[in-house]
Amino acid sequence: MIVIVDYGMGNLRSVYNKLKRIECDAKISSDPEVISKAEKIILPGVGHFKNAMEKIKEYGLFELLNQKVLKDKIPVLGICLGVQLFTKKSEEGDVEGLGWIDAETVRFSIPEHQKIRLKVPSVGWNSVSLVKTDSLLFKGIDPQELFYFVHSYHLKSTNSSIVLGTSNYSYEFISCIEKDNIFGTQFHPEKSQDQGMQLFKNFVKM
Amino acid sequence: MIRPRVIPILLLKNLGLVKSVRFKNYNYIGDPINAVKIFNDLRADELVFLDIMASKEKRTIQLSFIERVGDECNMPFSVGGGIRTINDIKTILSAGAEKVIINSYAAENPEFIKNAAMEFGSSTIVASIDVKNNFFGKEATYTMGGTKSTGYNPVDFAKLMEEKGAGELIINSIEKDGTMEGYDLDLVKRISEAVTIPVIACGGAGTYEHMANCFKDSFASAVAAGSMFVYHGPRKAVLINYPAKNELLQIFSN
Amino acid sequence: MTKICTRCILDTTVSDIWFDDKGECKYCMINDEMEKNHPLGSGSEARLQVLIEKIKKDGKNKAYDCIVGSSGGRDSTYTLLKAVELGLRPLAVHFDNGWNTEISVKNIKRACEKLKIPLYTVVADWEEFKDLQVSFLKSSTPDADIPTDYAIYSVLFKVAAKEGVKYILNGHSFRTEGTSPISWTYMDARYLKAVHQTYGKIKKIKSFPVLSLSKLLYYSFVKGIRDIRILEYMDYNKKEVDQILKAKLDWEYYGGHHHENVYTKFFQSYYLPQRFNIDKRKTELSALIRHGQISREEALREINSSPYEYDPTVVEYAKSKLGLSDEEFNKIMNDPIKSHNDYPTYLPLIKTLKWPIKMATRLKVLPYILYLKYASN
Repeated sequence: MIVIVDYGMGNLRSVYNKLKRIECDAKISSDPEVISKAEKIILPGVGHFKNAMEKIKEYGLFELLNQKVLKDKIPVLGICLGVQLFTKKSEEGDVEGLGWIDAETVRFSIPEHQKIRLKVPSVGWNSVSLVKTDSLLFKGIDPQELFYFVHSYHLKSTNSSIVLGTSNYSYEFISCIEKDNIFGTQFHPEKSQDQGMQLFKNFVKM
Repeated sequence: MIRPRVIPILLLKNLGLVKSVRFKNYNYIGDPINAVKIFNDLRADELVFLDIMASKEKRTIQLSFIERVGDECNMPFSVGGGIRTINDIKTILSAGAEKVIINSYAAENPEFIKNAAMEFGSSTIVASIDVKNNFFGKEATYTMGGTKSTGYNPVDFAKLMEEKGAGELIINSIEKDGTMEGYDLDLVKRISEAVTIPVIACGGAGTYEHMANCFKDSFASAVAAGSMFVYHGPRKAVLINYPAKNELLQIFSN
Repeated sequence: MTKICTRCILDTTVSDIWFDDKGECKYCMINDEMEKNHPLGSGSEARLQVLIEKIKKDGKNKAYDCIVGSSGGRDSTYTLLKAVELGLRPLAVHFDNGWNTEISVKNIKRACEKLKIPLYTVVADWEEFKDLQVSFLKSSTPDADIPTDYAIYSVLFKVAAKEGVKYILNGHSFRTEGTSPISWTYMDARYLKAVHQTYGKIKKIKSFPVLSLSKLLYYSFVKGIRDIRILEYMDYNKKEVDQILKAKLDWEYYGGHHHENVYTKFFQSYYLPQRFNIDKRKTELSALIRHGQISREEALREINSSPYEYDPTVVEYAKSKLGLSDEEFNKIMNDPIKSHNDYPTYLPLIKTLKWPIKMATRLKVLPYILYLKYASN
């Protein structure tokens, strides 16, 4: 059973609908009891990093998520703000994250002369250059396919081992990560048409 | 690199799709859910739904409609119309919309934009700015479907919205609406130059060339169209259409 | 025990069928009569030319000389192509009932663009059309697709009258589609009105025309508007036509007869087979058998090997779009079956007017098929 963690932020229904369409047994829940029984977890997220961390703690999920992901090592997929929460800290709110990956969340830094064309938040369809080309998460997805991004912040890391793929917006930035059981996409698979559905299918199959 | 988005704008009146010319003479286009289905199959980048009677009738778009769109839609969609409270936004986003579009209330109470952005994140809050020349021939911002002047000059209002935390702006030229003669390139340019957030141009699109020019010369981050994607030919036959993948790449390749 | 025609594959699931002493069915007989009336060959080419010249002459100072109903489907798209190739100046007319697919819309657009034909659409108000469709589903007859058919018919006549055009080019052909058995599909204005009044909630339909019999007669006899099955003058091979349309108009196939429209897909692949045991593939395949485009064995194999496959997501979509709860839908699928005979129709009147109708068909004011199907036995 896959649990879509409800911590009060994020487009849960879209993710749920897409999982339902691929006939996956998924549940939206903020209930620690339900989450503790999850075989896989999806952490979506839209909004402010600081609010999100506060809400996770408020809902009593901080320890539980650490347990499930770091100790029980169940597969987890973070989406957008969700994957940013996996990092050690964020410039948005200057707050600590879950610290599951060796990375931090920073705001887009667009050179002055490009600002007229490259606005922030970065919104739209962008390509992903896969670094880990044999990743199961991207199995069967044409490398030319685009995914939907909407974000002002992105991941940054000196540790290349976690990088699953990068995208370009003025410069290359980490657009998806993979480290053992931890997966995350800066883009929204639930909004990325068939290719997004395929990504969910791949995650569900793991 | 991100390709500029091409966005169909769907206007709702009494749960039917309509299309206007200069914000008047609303013509019935059909069942919006079927339009969603077709745009889905045509792989549209994003969809925008605006309920044009909502503010006047002091309500928001029917929740069950948003849920049905959310269930059908494979790409992001935004919803606007009569949004005035944090709870309105919460309900709409929970129903599956990616972003909300605020027009009338943003001018009435700009602080609301700030509160909304703080609660839900800037990227979910889009401010919509309708522009036309007032009685004295001066460019002004209007609300309530183009009937109420706000007293704001469009560039100043755009900057105010950015300052309050809006993540995107939709700039709608009332005079160009439904004419399919091209965007108001000058207006879009001045606003794009004044803000650092994405600007979606709307009003007047008739050809792919209009869109290419708007992106190239006016620095629009996205181009929206209503009439162009629902009409075909000189007799304005209703036929939903959207550029194919290769056409999209071609529009923005120069 | 189902009895099957020895020549085509229509069988006793067609409740009005009868067989002659050779075991050949009523619809083979109708086909043969039609063939006698409309033989192919050099005679038909000459007759077609005469007709085309007349259409051109009558349309001389008008913006268009004919109207072609366009659904994005094979037949209507081929009709548009032929009309242009024969030198006519058609106005393409599309009736949007709210169930268009991406393919149908693309096909219409491409055809009109490539042939440089203007397009006019009538969009039904969805709430009105839904009300009419749901009333037919509630009527428990197999005629739940006639709202669209009748609306298209009405729209074409109305537009023709408005534009001052005398000719409607119709894409039907008895050779490739076959004649739909009357027990499988029946339509007339009186029937439509009766069913709508019995089960519908909306009192009056305003957004699209529903021609009354008197209006239809007015358009036919007073305005002289004629409905012409132009494809019956030509040798029309389905597979070849698909290739031609693809090559010339970038036309795409949608996977089933009239499946370019989602409702029709639901109706033909699910509703009719599941509820009434009616498989409309049989009429089309039977027509192709009679004209040598497929063998009877091949046709039987096709029918017997696979039940009409339906897509459950289409059924769910139709249910949701029509606003039907599970309960309402179950009732619709399980209520006792009725036919057009259980409602007021013009059929008794038509049967009484058998001879005048036959005359009208001889004078080519009404298509001959009308007489054969409805007025004869």
